Amino acid sequence: MTEREQNFPALLERLRPRCEQIIAQYERKRSALLPLMHLFQRHEGYVSREAMEAAAEMVGITPAEAEGTVSFYTLFYRRPVGKYMLQVCRGLACTINGAEDIMAYFREKLGIGHLQTTADGLFSYEEVECLAACDRATCMQVNLEFVYDLTPQKIDAMLDDIRAGSYAVAAMAQTEAPDRTWQIPQDKQVAGGRKSRGAAGVPSPDNAGGVGDRSGVIMLDNIINRNVIRFTGTRERALLEPRDVVERVDEEGARAGH
Amino acid sequence: MPVTKVLTAGIGEVDLRGIDAYRQRGGYTQWERVVRDLQPVDILNIAEKSGLRGRGGAGFPTGRKWSFLPKDKNVRYLVCNCDEAEPGTFKDHMLLEEAPHLVLEGMLIGAYAIASHHAFIYIRGEFLRGYEIFSAALEQARAAGFVGTNIFGTGFDLEITVHRGAGAYICGEETAMLNSLEGKRGEPRLKPPFPAVEGLYSKPTIVNNVETLAYLVPILERGPEWFAAVGTERSKGYKIVSVSGHVQKPGNYEIALGTPVREIIELAGGLRPGRTLMAVQPGGGSSACIFEEQLDWPYDYESMAKAGSMLGSGAFVVFDDTTDFVNCAYNLVRFFSHESCGQCTPCREGGSWMERVLERLVHARGVPGDYEMLLRIAGSITGLNLCPLGDSIEPFLKSVMLRFPEAFKARIVQTRETANA
Repeated sequence: MTEREQNFPALLERLRPRCEQIIAQYERKRSALLPLMHLFQRHEGYVSREAMEAAAEMVGITPAEAEGTVSFYTLFYRRPVGKYMLQVCRGLACTINGAEDIMAYFREKLGIGHLQTTADGLFSYEEVECLAACDRATCMQVNLEFVYDLTPQKIDAMLDDIRAGSYAVAAMAQTEAPDRTWQIPQDKQVAGGRKSRGAAGVPSPDNAGGVGDRSGVIMLDNIINRNVIRFTGTRERALLEPRDVVERVDEEGARAGH
Repeated sequence: MPVTKVLTAGIGEVDLRGIDAYRQRGGYTQWERVVRDLQPVDILNIAEKSGLRGRGGAGFPTGRKWSFLPKDKNVRYLVCNCDEAEPGTFKDHMLLEEAPHLVLEGMLIGAYAIASHHAFIYIRGEFLRGYEIFSAALEQARAAGFVGTNIFGTGFDLEITVHRGAGAYICGEETAMLNSLEGKRGEPRLKPPFPAVEGLYSKPTIVNNVETLAYLVPILERGPEWFAAVGTERSKGYKIVSVSGHVQKPGNYEIALGTPVREIIELAGGLRPGRTLMAVQPGGGSSACIFEEQLDWPYDYESMAKAGSMLGSGAFVVFDDTTDFVNCAYNLVRFFSHESCGQCTPCREGGSWMERVLERLVHARGVPGDYEMLLRIAGSITGLNLCPLGDSIEPFLKSVMLRFPEAFKARIVQTRETANA
C-alpha cells in the first residue's frame, strides 16, 4: 500500500463535509460526480481508484459506472501526472499561427512528447484542442491558467521559473510519482491501432501489455507521438522512416530509465 | 464603420467583475423590473418581438424555443451553455471572465421567463479562471438578494448552480450537456423527446447559450424594437464575432447582423501587408469555407446558409495565402475524430478513417484514390448521426478540397505498391 493510499481515508474524512455540500446542490446525487472528481483531483493530483470508489458510494452508483463516466472526460487524469500540466493548444487558429513550431519547441525543451511526463515528475505535456483564446494565438494553459501569445523566449522563462519554484501559477498536488504517460492504453485514442499506410511497420498498440508494461508504454508513446518528426521542421529528421522513430524512442526510453 | 458595443460595452475599459461596478452602469435594474412588474409571458413576447435567435450555433429563435415547454408541468430547468469549445470561438470565454454579472442577470431573466426555480450554468472545464470569477459574482449577487429565496420580497425563488465540465467538446451539444449534468458520460441523446419536453432529470429543460441570455438584458432595457431595428429581415440584432487567424487585430467584435463579410475583416485590421485572402471560415470549425467572391455578402444566418456555410457560433477564421489547407483539413478532422463520443458508427469510424488518410496526405505520402475516397467517406457520415458532430466533419474539408484540389492531389506521391511495401 502506498503512502497515498494509507492517507486516503483521512483525506476522505476531511473532504466529506465539502462533498456533502456539493451533493446537496443537485436534485439528484449523481449530478455531483464530476464536481466531486474535480475536488479529489485537486487534492490528489489525479483521480485515484479510491476516489472514484468513494465518490461512487456517496452518489449511489457502482464504481464501474463512476469509472465509465470519469474516463469520458480528458481533464480527469486517471494516473498520476507532473506537478505542472502544460497543455498547448493545437486548434486551427493556433496552428495557422505557428502552433506546430511552438509544440516542436516544447517537445525539444522538455525532451518528451504529447501525453508524457518528464522523468523528474515536474512536467506533463499535452497537445489539446482549441482553448477558446484564438485572438491571442498561440496559447496554452499551465495548470489550467491561460498563457497567451507564446514565443520561445516566453517558454524558456516559464520553464526556468517553474524549475526555480518562482512561477506565478501554483504546482498541482502530487501524491504519487507519475509514470511516463498518464494515458491508459485501452483508451480510445490508441485502441484502434490506427495505422495509416504511411505508418506501416509501427508495432500495434494492441500488443501492449497494459498498464505498467514497459514495452507497452514505449509503444504507446510512439503511437501517440507518431507526428514527432513532423514538428521539428528539420529536413533530415523529416525523412526518417517510422521504423527509425520506434528504434530511437526505444533507445531514448532505455537511456532515460523508463 | 461605427463600432457597436452592447454586450461588449465597457469590456477592456472598466473592471465589470465587481457587483458595484456593474450596478453603477445600471446592472440588475432589469432583473428587478422583471421580478416586480413582469410575467414570464411578457418576457417571452419581448424575446419573440426582438427576433433574438440562439447565439450558440443553431440560431433557433429563442422565444419559440421557450414556447415549446409543456404548459402543464411545473418543474422546469434552465441550463446556460458555457461549454464554448467550437474551434475559433472565444466570445463566451470573454463574457464569462469580463462580464460575469451580465451573464448572471441574463440567466436570471431567462429562468424567470420559463418559470424555472433552478438554473444551471455549465462551464467548460478549461475555464477554471472563468468559473472562479463567475462563482464569486454569484456569491455577490446572492448576498445582495438577487439570487435565492424571496427575491426582492416578491416570493419568487431562484437558485443557481455552477457546474464545471471536464474536457469534452461534445458536452456543448444540449442533450450531451444534460447527460453530463446528470453525472453521466457526455453522450448525446436521441431526439425527440427534445429537452423542452424531457430534459434534465426528465423534466422540461431549456438550454440557452451565454450570449443569447446576456442579450436579454439590453433587449429588456432598450425594448425589443431597438434590437429588431438592426440586422436583416430574419437575422435581427447584434452578434459578437470572434475573429482570428490571419488578421492583424484578432479579437471579439460586436456587429449588427448583416454587416458585409469584408467589413468584418477590415474591422479586425485586415490582412497582413502583402498577403492575399484565400478563404474565410465564418461559423466555427463545423462550417464550410466561403471565398473571395462572397466577401460582399452580408454576415447573417440566411446569407451564410445560402453561401453553403453557416453563421454558427460566430467564429470567424481568416486564411491568407500562407495557409496549408491540407494541414488545416487534417487539423479539423482530427479534432472531430478526437471529440467524437463514439456512439454512432459513421462518426466514430468515418472520422478516424479520414484522419488517417489526411495524415498521410499531410506527410506527402498519399495513395492514388485518396482524394476521391475522402470525399466519399465524408459524404457517408453526414446526416447519419444522433447529433451534429458527425455532420460537422464534412463541410470544411469538402469546401477546401473542391476549391483547392491541387493542394491535396500534389500530396499523392506513392503508388499502391510502394505504400504497401
